[in-house]
Amino acid sequence: MTWNTAVRTTVACAILIVLHYTLRPLLAWRASIDFLIIALLIGSVRLRPGAAAVYGFFLGFVADSVDVSGFGAAALAMSVVGFTASWLKAVFIADNLALNGFFLFLAKWVFDVLFLILGRHAHGAELMVQMFVWSPIAAAVTAVAGVVVLTIMRPLMETRTA
Amino acid sequence: MANTARLGNRVDAGLLIACVALSLIAIVLRDEDREPIASALRRTIVAPLVGLQRSAERWRVAYVTNDARQMAVDSVVMRTMDAQALQVENGQLRRLMGLGSRLEWGFVPADALRGTAPSEALITTLTLTAGSTAGVTRYSPVVAPEGLVGTIQTADPTMSIAILYTNADFRASAMAVDGTTFGIIYPHAQRGSGADAYMLELRGVPTKVQLKPGTPIYTSGLGGTFPRGITIGTIVTELKTSEVWTRTYLVRPAVSPSQVTTVLILTPKRISQGTGNIWGAANAMNADSAAKRIAGAGDSLAKRAAAADARARATVLDSLRQAAVDSALRSLGIAAPQRARPDSARRDTVPRRP
Repeated sequence: MTWNTAVRTTVACAILIVLHYTLRPLLAWRASIDFLIIALLIGSVRLRPGAAAVYGFFLGFVADSVDVSGFGAAALAMSVVGFTASWLKAVFIADNLALNGFFLFLAKWVFDVLFLILGRHAHGAELMVQMFVWSPIAAAVTAVAGVVVLTIMRPLMETRTA
Repeated sequence: MANTARLGNRVDAGLLIACVALSLIAIVLRDEDREPIASALRRTIVAPLVGLQRSAERWRVAYVTNDARQMAVDSVVMRTMDAQALQVENGQLRRLMGLGSRLEWGFVPADALRGTAPSEALITTLTLTAGSTAGVTRYSPVVAPEGLVGTIQTADPTMSIAILYTNADFRASAMAVDGTTFGIIYPHAQRGSGADAYMLELRGVPTKVQLKPGTPIYTSGLGGTFPRGITIGTIVTELKTSEVWTRTYLVRPAVSPSQVTTVLILTPKRISQGTGNIWGAANAMNADSAAKRIAGAGDSLAKRAAAADARARATVLDSLRQAAVDSALRSLGIAAPQRARPDSARRDTVPRRP
């Protein structure tokens, strides 16, 4: 990854992280957009899997510090998602927006499942509803938002690395 | 090359394992152990993000509660307006109850509804919610705690219509506070604005009588329509007219028609019996009489003092004159006539004649 790409990716991820802490609370949807996942995927596909795991770990740790319960769950889930995204980068960086959207959907859902189970945020039926109703909806919303973000940021993210 | 790739994969796997292990450690940490770490993060790296989140949530709360807050503000404003109206109405009702308790009998309370169109600024009639069934008759006086309002023009069974003193047909026999100056009250032809919107004229006051501004005017009771002593208003100024033998005065009414909401209608029996000193006419008259008596007493004292002074001066002059006559007689050797009787004075104080 060249310096130019690194700077552009950093700027894009910084914007998404700021959006996560400004736009998301402002909208306050029941199934909200996870801009951190979008930032994680955009960064991870440009890093080696190990670095992506570390990136995911720190991003998750930041998210955990604000969350009162389940400290470490987001860090673990994002490490896994980041590592996997980097490993599957050939899929994600394809020009097919629908495929990118599906990948975002999958990433968010996996993250939510891991986060809910490891963080013990819900139990029993509530956990099931959360995992199979609200998480897919939130994943779909995140996928749509991710596609929009990728479309808007296309000029910024044009330079790709192998 | 293959070794490098293998090493890279091992490093990646190692990093993932390390991250997962650290995350698991964080998960199994006790609350008291994890809180310092989370707190340190919140105070350092995450602090700007937490600040952004707090601001965003504040905006969100402000946006969500805006309608509710606006409604609350509107409700408070409406309540305030209602409270002010209620306060005014409450004051009027209290005064009316006070008037009712002073009158004791012979009146019918009624609500006053303004029957005029909104465009008609001058209020000349009122629709009252009491009629002939309640004892209201034509020409019954309509009064408020402040004073005279008008008279009944039409009395239906359940409602009646009153003409106010602003009506061109309104007349009332009036007197000044001294109880000796009489005139007739008419509505003032020229309409002013603000506090002078509704004015009256006191016509037919004898030229020899001059009323000062602020003099209270009451109904005189002459004619039998209004009982004696209901407050009409106060003298403002004298109006210039072509009349030679009488004066006309501008009178500010005690009651404002725009603020009348409840009134009392006096019954015929009450008119014949009189209202007594309800509006304080007798007190004012007594005060006026007392002032006149005080002035008269002052005059008497001054007269007496002047008379005493004159008497003393005459006595002194008389004494001087007598002394001069006595000395002249003595110098001529003629005995002066004896003035003091011996039995009326001590012997040792009576001068012995040589």
